[in-house]
Amino acid sequence: MKKTLVLQNDIRQIPELAVFVDGLAEEMSLDPSLAMGLNLALEEAVTNVMMYAYPAGESGTVEIEVDAREDRMVFRLTDAGVPFDPTAAPAADITLGVEERPIGGLGIFLVRQIMDSVVYERRDGRNILTLTKNIT
Amino acid sequence: MTARLVGRLDTPASQEAATKIQPLLDNADKTLIMDCTELTYISSSGLRLFLTLRKACAAKGGKVVLRAINNDIRQVFTMTGLLSLFVVEDA
Repeated sequence: MKKTLVLQNDIRQIPELAVFVDGLAEEMSLDPSLAMGLNLALEEAVTNVMMYAYPAGESGTVEIEVDAREDRMVFRLTDAGVPFDPTAAPAADITLGVEERPIGGLGIFLVRQIMDSVVYERRDGRNILTLTKNIT
Repeated sequence: MTARLVGRLDTPASQEAATKIQPLLDNADKTLIMDCTELTYISSSGLRLFLTLRKACAAKGGKVVLRAINNDIRQVFTMTGLLSLFVVEDA
């Protein structure tokens, strides 16, 4: 099953992403915990694009394509923003205590924790982030 | 002081909630009970709010209690290593 959702770089559209992922989870009869994990990983990855891919005040889109099969789901996020590789960010140190713990950096960490693979490419002036989740 | 969280704490909801946490920050010398009975979802933006409160309490001597978080949300706190920073309380 293949589906596509296109959102503007506006955080207020995040609930539409949740509806998209929940609909997919329902059609695939996914376990609710897995559905929540996918929602979370997708929200983090898409939010990153919405907040950082385009210069402030400039509108742009992020396209979310999913190729869902019985044994794995592949999500491809495409935007035409500035080159931005979220996988190059240093891993968050989750062992730090409360005072030292930075407020940011958890988003991409969660994406990596939830997904089985996260691959970034820059192609034809676009950022393409491919997230794969194996379904066991 | 108790705050009740209802529904999804996603990025837009967390941005809105961030504008409303001042009363909690003002009471960071006390115990802040976050009633999560009806909290169904949290993303990193929501975790950041919890961490902001926890940091304020660390500075002022209070504590943050997570009351009745569901298993999926507990898992998100665990995955990010945040669970140990909070007092977790069943309903």
